Amino acid sequence: MSMPYYDLDVRPILREGGEPFSVIMQAVSSLAPGQSLRLYATFKPLPLFQVLGARGFEASAREIGNGEWEVIFTPGEAAADPVVKPTAPAAASDDKWPAPVDELDNRDLDPPEPMVKTLEGVEALQPGQTIAALLPREPVFLLEELEARGHSWRGQMEPEGHYRVVIRAGNPRR
Amino acid sequence: MMMGAALSRWTMAYFAVALACLLGAQAMMVMGLGYPATAVEDPQTLILVHTVTIGWLSLLMCGALFQFVPVLVAQPLIGAGMVLPALVSLLAGLVSLLAGFLQLSGDLETGLPFLPVAGILLPLGFGLAVVVLGRTLLRGRPLPLPARFVAAGLVCLVATAAIGVLFALLLSGLDVLGAEVDWVGEVLPLHVTAGFGGWLTMTAIGVSYRLLPMFMLSPDKERITGKAVLWSSCSALALVLVVVPLERALGGPGIAWHAACLAMLVAVVFYGVDLVFFYRHRKRRNIELNSRSAIGAFAALYLSVALLVGLVATGTLGQNSAALIYLVAFGWLSGLGLSQLYKIVPFLTWLECYGPVMGRKPTPRVQDLVVEKRDMPWFALYFAGVLAGTIALLAGMPDLFRLAALATLCATVALVVEMVLVRRLFNVSVASRLPEGTSRPRLFLSSAR
Repeated sequence: MSMPYYDLDVRPILREGGEPFSVIMQAVSSLAPGQSLRLYATFKPLPLFQVLGARGFEASAREIGNGEWEVIFTPGEAAADPVVKPTAPAAASDDKWPAPVDELDNRDLDPPEPMVKTLEGVEALQPGQTIAALLPREPVFLLEELEARGHSWRGQMEPEGHYRVVIRAGNPRR
Repeated sequence: MMMGAALSRWTMAYFAVALACLLGAQAMMVMGLGYPATAVEDPQTLILVHTVTIGWLSLLMCGALFQFVPVLVAQPLIGAGMVLPALVSLLAGLVSLLAGFLQLSGDLETGLPFLPVAGILLPLGFGLAVVVLGRTLLRGRPLPLPARFVAAGLVCLVATAAIGVLFALLLSGLDVLGAEVDWVGEVLPLHVTAGFGGWLTMTAIGVSYRLLPMFMLSPDKERITGKAVLWSSCSALALVLVVVPLERALGGPGIAWHAACLAMLVAVVFYGVDLVFFYRHRKRRNIELNSRSAIGAFAALYLSVALLVGLVATGTLGQNSAALIYLVAFGWLSGLGLSQLYKIVPFLTWLECYGPVMGRKPTPRVQDLVVEKRDMPWFALYFAGVLAGTIALLAGMPDLFRLAALATLCATVALVVEMVLVRRLFNVSVASRLPEGTSRPRLFLSSAR
């Protein structure tokens, strides 16, 4: 790969307790075709592997000491050439959610406020839009409610011990 | 893949029956039925004890676990259709058991074999509960720490119920193990330890490991101390329930009993470390009444341990075991149960009523469903009553005990009234009580979506 890396260091954001997801996604969208992203983080960003993997990036990670990580996301063929049509359009479109319109940090709210705030954010979405939320723990009641309302979600525990969920608004039922 | 958890439909019904049994048991104590007015082995005492342990504590715990285990392992309850049959079976079994005890005392003269019937219905009810909860836990592996305590508690529930069946058969005149077995001296302590120390205490500890950090916003990453509590308490139970009887039967030197005591002390010390950690590292500065009143229950747990050590050291455990059991049952287990019900009932009611419109319409807060200021004195009265009752039992003052039981009864009545008001959304201002799209929750039966 002759093209220089696009370097992004999110360690300062993480050390201040911030959420670098939107910065990373901005960087990804401003990559030149075929360009790789070199990311520095204070932990191995496993959730990102999945998110960017769905966009056709391959990740190679190495620890650089002090528990910090350097990860290089290299675009695969589909990502390198956006003109090439994916071979399985249904599955691919299923995997591609638009970037979240907002990232809610509901980690420090008294229960059940995290659920209330997240649902308020979801209800403000247009169908198909997504929103991300950080929650203090696995939001089992929230997920039940989202399903009852016909929204889809993807989420997982993050290494820092909180739960991150991305919710895509379904068609309104009521 | 983690899944959502739904509201448990019958949990409120379990809670309602459980609270009715608690009130009934306290009323019996106020009226002077059972120990200390009668002997420990008197049928009246057996009625009192089983109304508390099966009617109140076990139904409370089962109802809570049907809601709580799916949340713990992020899996839907497997076999939710068995939850109501379990309740019916437990309730019918409890009534048969109490009727059987009344036959023993001669207060009920019928030929119906109540004790053997109870010996079928109660294991059936508990068995259904264990199957539903056990299968849900199995699906949720690897289990988080609180769920592992619950799993250990369920194993002990099976042991308790199995020994209970042996007693039911014995009291019906069927001597299954032969006359040389010392039932009261050897087998009864196993029944009591498996029930209070295993089933009820292990599950209560497991629930506390999740609820305390959840409601106080404390860090709840699994710590080595929590694992130490789990393994040392499991070792203590295994030693007392399996190794000690074997050692006695084989004529061993009695080391197992001391090892069990040591393991139990290790468990309570590390549990104390974790409790202090949860309270000190909470992000929520002003904790709610449920977390404050739970401190009374934890104090009762540590008083119980101190009392046990003191009684063992002075060789007076035999004649004072009733005081110890009273403190464990009413201070630690019932105290924790009431304090957590005070949060769980409003929380589930709020979720049931306002969940469907959340984010679409303004809803009241969970805290708006209760009036903490009004209820704090009742918790104080409750724990003061339990402490006075324990002292009265130790001092051999039955009249003071009845007075102390009256204090706990009054406090419990006030808290039960408060929970009914919660279900009725009584404390929420009329204007914001039922926004469009909501309906008033039923008292005992949660609506399913």
